[in-house]
Amino acid sequence: MSTTSQKHRDFVAEPMGDKHVTALSGIGEVLGKKLEEQGFDKAYVVLGQFLVLRKDELFIEWLKDTCGANSKQASSCYTCLKEWCDSFL
Amino acid sequence: MAAAQLTDEELLSELKRLGFIPGPVTESTRPVYLKKLKKLREEQPQQQRGSLGTRASKSRNSNTAAGAAGSGARPARSDVTHLSAGRSPGSCPALSPKSSGRAGKLLLGFSSDESDAEINQNKGGLVHRSGRRERGSGHHFQQHRPTATSGSRSQGGGVSSNTSKPFNSSALPDGKTGGGGAWWGPKGKSATGVHHLMHTERGVYGEKEEEEEEEEDDYDEEDRERGNPTLNGNSASCASSRQLAGDYSDSDEEEEDNPGKERHIGRRLGPRRSLSKSVLSVNKSARGMDSGQEGTGGGVIIINDKAAAESLDIARDQEGEKKDRGGFGIGSGLRNRSSCRSESWLLSTAMGEGTADSSANNHVSSNNGGGGVSSATKARYSSYNSVASPATASLSPRSNHSNHTGSNHAYSRTGPTKKLPETEEELLQQFRRDEVSSTGRFSAHYLSMFLLTAACLFFVLLGLTYLGMRGHGGAEADVVIRSHPFGSDFDAQYEDEEKSQILNILLRLHDHLAQIAGEHDCGYHFHENRSLSVQEASELLIISNCSYKEKVSTALEWILKSGEDVGIRLIGSDPKEEVNQVSDIKYLESTHPNMSFICRFQRAFVTVINRILIFLIGIGIVWGVLWYMKYRWRKEEEETRQMYDMVEKIIDALKSHNEACQESKDLQPYLPIPHVRDSLVQPQARKKMKKVWDRAVNFLATNESRIRTETQRLGGADFLVWRWTQPSSPCDKISIMPSKVWQGKAFPLDKRNSPPNSLTPCLKIRNMFDPVMEVGEDWHLAIHEAILEKCSDNDGIVHIAVDKNSREGCVYVKCLSAEYAGKAFKALHGSWFDGKLVTVKYLRLDRYHQRFPLALSCNTPLKASNTHMNTMSHLRLRTGTVNSQGRS
Repeated sequence: MSTTSQKHRDFVAEPMGDKHVTALSGIGEVLGKKLEEQGFDKAYVVLGQFLVLRKDELFIEWLKDTCGANSKQASSCYTCLKEWCDSFL
Repeated sequence: MAAAQLTDEELLSELKRLGFIPGPVTESTRPVYLKKLKKLREEQPQQQRGSLGTRASKSRNSNTAAGAAGSGARPARSDVTHLSAGRSPGSCPALSPKSSGRAGKLLLGFSSDESDAEINQNKGGLVHRSGRRERGSGHHFQQHRPTATSGSRSQGGGVSSNTSKPFNSSALPDGKTGGGGAWWGPKGKSATGVHHLMHTERGVYGEKEEEEEEEEDDYDEEDRERGNPTLNGNSASCASSRQLAGDYSDSDEEEEDNPGKERHIGRRLGPRRSLSKSVLSVNKSARGMDSGQEGTGGGVIIINDKAAAESLDIARDQEGEKKDRGGFGIGSGLRNRSSCRSESWLLSTAMGEGTADSSANNHVSSNNGGGGVSSATKARYSSYNSVASPATASLSPRSNHSNHTGSNHAYSRTGPTKKLPETEEELLQQFRRDEVSSTGRFSAHYLSMFLLTAACLFFVLLGLTYLGMRGHGGAEADVVIRSHPFGSDFDAQYEDEEKSQILNILLRLHDHLAQIAGEHDCGYHFHENRSLSVQEASELLIISNCSYKEKVSTALEWILKSGEDVGIRLIGSDPKEEVNQVSDIKYLESTHPNMSFICRFQRAFVTVINRILIFLIGIGIVWGVLWYMKYRWRKEEEETRQMYDMVEKIIDALKSHNEACQESKDLQPYLPIPHVRDSLVQPQARKKMKKVWDRAVNFLATNESRIRTETQRLGGADFLVWRWTQPSSPCDKISIMPSKVWQGKAFPLDKRNSPPNSLTPCLKIRNMFDPVMEVGEDWHLAIHEAILEKCSDNDGIVHIAVDKNSREGCVYVKCLSAEYAGKAFKALHGSWFDGKLVTVKYLRLDRYHQRFPLALSCNTPLKASNTHMNTMSHLRLRTGTVNSQGRS
């Protein structure tokens, strides 16, 4: 558990509700802005994309392409969503 | 391949044909899938040969690891990656021990969650590395994985340069390698087929990578699990050191990982032993362990470095490689530190190899001969240069890789490698600092001791010298015959010879007297008294020198004349009287006693001790006073608090009485004070609380405006009564949001968000409170109550501990057995308490006992002390039972 960040833990601990996309682990201000521009303003929208990609690691590629995240951020987000899905989906 | 002209359906079918199961192709996913298609197509030709093998091995891997067999390379990978990357809470059905271990996402050992932050910093680098390895650059590995795993199996004991065929044919029985292999396997599919060329070296790599996978598997586990880098004094192999690292880690751990690990380790040690030799023989740049016995760990580290090197090769970032390798070396070195004492060597060799490697990046040499191992290991420790040549061997395959994988991994390269150098740097620095401190510590320790003793010695000597000076001071003056206190008259009056005689007389006299006085003072009573009579003195002097006879009186005369203290005091028959005449002199006494060394030392010592004692006593008194004051202050606070509690209780009682009166008119609107007291205070406590009660009454009389004190006649006796005078207002009727209540469940518990069976008897419950918001001393008891009430059907809770300082609101609970803990888990996990969502994890029993040794002896189930079940009031409401106006 020690490789997960506080953000990750906070996100995964409860249903995401209406959280902003910056609540995702790995997504900060800058990336959040970029995702918003693309229409992904809420965490659940990104979740939708994650699910459409079948919860696959392809999501990481997608995230990198969409908002220019680096590998670490993208995989952190991926892990975060994955764990969230495992708990709540 | 005109990707732009593909329709969605074509894209889908192409991907399916290549064995990849894509999701819906929408506008957002289209580019992603296109990229994927491109990658797959490029991989295809290389994968021709290996594809079958990879498929088969992958399927095997998947089977063993994630249970999603062959078809879903992707799904398998995703399962496995989430196994590795994030612990999935057991959603994978067929679990290898490892993955089942990971399944318990909620199983974790203690982490003081605050320390997680530190862990993250430390682990940042590790995470980067593992993440990077895992994802972006890992494509390299992917090639290796499937082959490696099978290769390792086939190569039970020896090095062999295998082709892919034995890889394909050998089975992968073990979950561990399967797990590792599966992890990488699906990736291998998507990665470009670099490495059919590598087959020859594959043998070399096979073991290494197998070890690497395992290393990485466990590595990641450890990353997650371990708190701070653990320095175990464990000289066993890497595996056991890993386990121990797990033991010592303070962070959350998975419960099952340990049994998983043990099995894992057991299996691993088997092949490892045989592998180690082959690894060593093959792999010169064994960065880790030095000798054969520690070769296992060494092999591991080597592999890590290699893997790092490989992946970095892609980037051709020499800088990054260097650092990365160093980092890996450190990372694994961290873990394997225990098994290798020469950590500094490790580091230096790591760094050295890094440099060597990067320099020999493009140099292909097949340097697979075994001879250099031991020499390499020695060389490693001695110089970088010698390492360079063995290192080149390891580079040879890597350069091949780089040739093949040039185009494929653009997206994976730059980011991670840029990141890595920084994190590795940090770790490096940390490492260096640690080392310096560890080596320096010894000398520092001795140095401080030395300085201390030197200082003490100095002061002692100083004191003694001082005393010695005092003792001899008088004598010194007289020793030099020429300098005397008698003034120039003396010089003028006598000739030299007489002068010297007189002075000698005096000197002798002085010494003798000093000695006597000294002895006397020290307690050796050789003479009856301190002074010497004139006759005795004269006799003594005459004995020593006959010519002194007539000079004695003159000498004494001169002493009288001088009036200074020459060290001899002249005493007459009456000690009080001044002596003016020589004839009056009866006794001679020394004013500068000459005490023996020991005597002086003793007296000095005693004096010092006395002074110290006085000082300490002074300090003690001051401290005592302070402590007393603190004590009094605390007591006062306590009493005041009690008083306020009492006041509140009284107010509540009066209020409720007032309300009761409103409803039924036959009650008196006032309450006698003694009655209130008796109803609020238990009989046992009445005497104790008397003071508090009186204060409360006074407080109410002076400060509370809603209560009036009056005298009423009740039942024939006069009573002081209280009357509640505030007219009831609507705001009172509004029930305040009760603070600590259970408020229902957030989500149903099923196998996805809770472990399939209860694993340990100890639980860690999070998010029960916010330490910042809590006031008072006993709020933790309310938490205890709440937990007991929630688990009221569960008789198995024996110990509850509230961690008052934890940011996350942690409460630790121990139950009689694992099934009770499971029941408690079901009752607590996912419930809302006080507006917060409570989560529960399992903890290891031994760690729990380490932290709460009191819990070792707890065996009696705890019961909620309050039968009203106040914390469940809202739940009762929900279920329709009568609510008694919430909790006031």
